[in-house]
Amino acid sequence: MNNKIAVQVDDLTVAYNYKPVLWDIDLEIPEGVLMAIVGPNGAGKSTLIKSILGILNPIAGSVSIYGKSYKKQRSLVAYVPQKGSVDWDFPTTALDVVMMGTYGSLGWIKRPRQKEKKATLEALEKVGMLPFKNRQISQLSGGQQQRIFLARALVQDAAIYFMDEPFQGVDATTEIAIINILKELRKVGKTVVVVHHDLQTVPEYFDWVTFLNVKKIATGPVKDIFNDDNLTKTYGINYKVSIQE
Amino acid sequence: MSSAQFEIQLIASLVAIACAIPGTFLVLRKMAMISDAISHSILPGIVVGFFITQDLNSPLLILLAAITGVITVVLVEYIQKTGLVKEDTAIGLVFPVLFSVGVIMIAKNANDVHLDVDAVLLGELAFAPFDRLLISEVDVGPKSLWVIGIILMITITLLIAFFKELKLSTFDKGLAASLGFSPAIIHYGLMSVSSITTVGAFDAVGAILVVALMIAPSASAYLLTKNLKKMLFLSIVFGVFSAISGYWFANWLDASIAGSITTLLGLLFLAIYLFAPNKGIIAVLYREKQQRTEVSLLTFLLHLKNHDEVSERHVNHLNEHINWQKVRAKTVLDLAIKNNMIVIDNNIVSLTSKGNTFTSQAIDYIITNEDAQIEDMKDDFFLFRG
Ligand SMILES: Nc1ncnc2c1ncn2[C@@H]1O[C@H](COP(=O)(O)OP(=O)(O)OP(=O)(O)O)[C@@H](O)[C@H]1O
Ligand SMILES: [Mg+2]
Repeated sequence: MNNKIAVQVDDLTVAYNYKPVLWDIDLEIPEGVLMAIVGPNGAGKSTLIKSILGILNPIAGSVSIYGKSYKKQRSLVAYVPQKGSVDWDFPTTALDVVMMGTYGSLGWIKRPRQKEKKATLEALEKVGMLPFKNRQISQLSGGQQQRIFLARALVQDAAIYFMDEPFQGVDATTEIAIINILKELRKVGKTVVVVHHDLQTVPEYFDWVTFLNVKKIATGPVKDIFNDDNLTKTYGINYKVSIQE
Repeated sequence: MSSAQFEIQLIASLVAIACAIPGTFLVLRKMAMISDAISHSILPGIVVGFFITQDLNSPLLILLAAITGVITVVLVEYIQKTGLVKEDTAIGLVFPVLFSVGVIMIAKNANDVHLDVDAVLLGELAFAPFDRLLISEVDVGPKSLWVIGIILMITITLLIAFFKELKLSTFDKGLAASLGFSPAIIHYGLMSVSSITTVGAFDAVGAILVVALMIAPSASAYLLTKNLKKMLFLSIVFGVFSAISGYWFANWLDASIAGSITTLLGLLFLAIYLFAPNKGIIAVLYREKQQRTEVSLLTFLLHLKNHDEVSERHVNHLNEHINWQKVRAKTVLDLAIKNNMIVIDNNIVSLTSKGNTFTSQAIDYIITNEDAQIEDMKDDFFLFRG
């Protein structure tokens, strides 16, 4: 890890129907970290990611990716939405969904060609979903759907990855497969930001963590700030997790 | 078949295609109701356009009415955004108001406007061939054929150019936005095309048929395929099929063409809803019944696996012991024999080695939900298809 800042969020406030769900968030994500965002349901974790990615318009504040606005840096960023945010009955195949990851670099109107197809197949291979490439997406299990989403982000070949609960509803094998891919991304210098619910695994999987509950509670290295004090502040109940050093 | 008859069928078919394309995306976006709203609320736009142009086929009128359609969508979304009411309520608030404004405008000017509400809602396809387009005195065909033909060309061009963007933003709005394909632009593009199609088609076929042609073929196609391009293709086929057969049905009954086409669309959907191979009601019921039998089969096999004693494996004993009626017990026994899972010798049932492996694998699957090893069993047993 070096000292470059990959993502900088300043004074961000976001509201739905004029009701703020994120208050005055300041956040710096250093390049090359594997960061967990933790917080209770409704804390605004998905909202934070969506605001960074320009999907939602904040009522105040700004976001920069390597010093420039998100709009200018789109190609550097990949996104895995929360699995429940799409309709899995949509008439399309696994291959086609992963291929959507290439649309950003294609731009308007242009169609995917051989090069994009090849990248798509490689990403499917990497997440172990090549045998399922022609399956209709509703006929994939929850874990397989999650792998498809991951492959779609991999195909974007970005510098920064935002993932909204990639471990939701996956079994232990898939979870390990996914975390290994994320660690590999970090190894080659990518920045990975993951919304995560399983507090037990935070110290094992991540090196950076952000506590969020409408406001930012804390952000920093897991070994320094992942403690009962911050957990209690975030979840509001007296929280105890044992951290093995 | 006279040339007027041919022209009517051609117009109806082109309308069907022009409706099926935006309709497919409306159905996938779960926005079917919006087309109903648009079809009614374009009325004031049509009336104002008609005051200005005195011509139902004028491009200006089509544009004005289409703008009313888009305004409807904007109003619905605005009301919805307040968070006070749900989308269907917002739709129900907006379009009756706009529609009534149109009705009042017609009533107030009834004397000098040759326009009535019935014509707008139901159209009159039978008269379409009589309103000809003359270019320097030369007859080039019915006006509505040109209107809908041009709209269709535009729709097809847009579909081909923006297919990727439409698919992406329909499936995953968030990703579309993050990749820089503004979902708002695509959304309002689709709304504009739907509005223009509705306006262009209402003169020939009426607003109600437009709604039916947008939704019924796509909803039917949705039940039949798992591929977006095939879904588009099937909705077009269904639309054209209903248009042409509806025409002949009306001819035979001497009834309204639009009404007949709509009726056939309804029947078509009903048939597909019942008989579609995977999502159809009959297929679903059959599958449920099969699954129930298979669960029984598994229970039965497990019983055999757990009980070596001959007394526990006597056919009659099974009836009492597992507490099944004769029919059920027989179905299960037959299924097991058919699959070589058991042998019956002297009324004593025993597992074959195939039956034994199957039972272990199945139990294993049910416990672990690991489906790699039962991949090949999916074809024979519904139970393993998730
Ligand atoms: N489209 C929306 N309209 C109105 N309110 C919304 C909308 N989306 C989210 N909210 C509200 O904003 C708050 C934050 O939601 P968000 O989805 O960001 O939470 P989250 O931390 O991701 O929760 P979870 O762990 O359940 O995914 C919640 O109170 C939610 O009810
Ligand atoms: Mg969330």
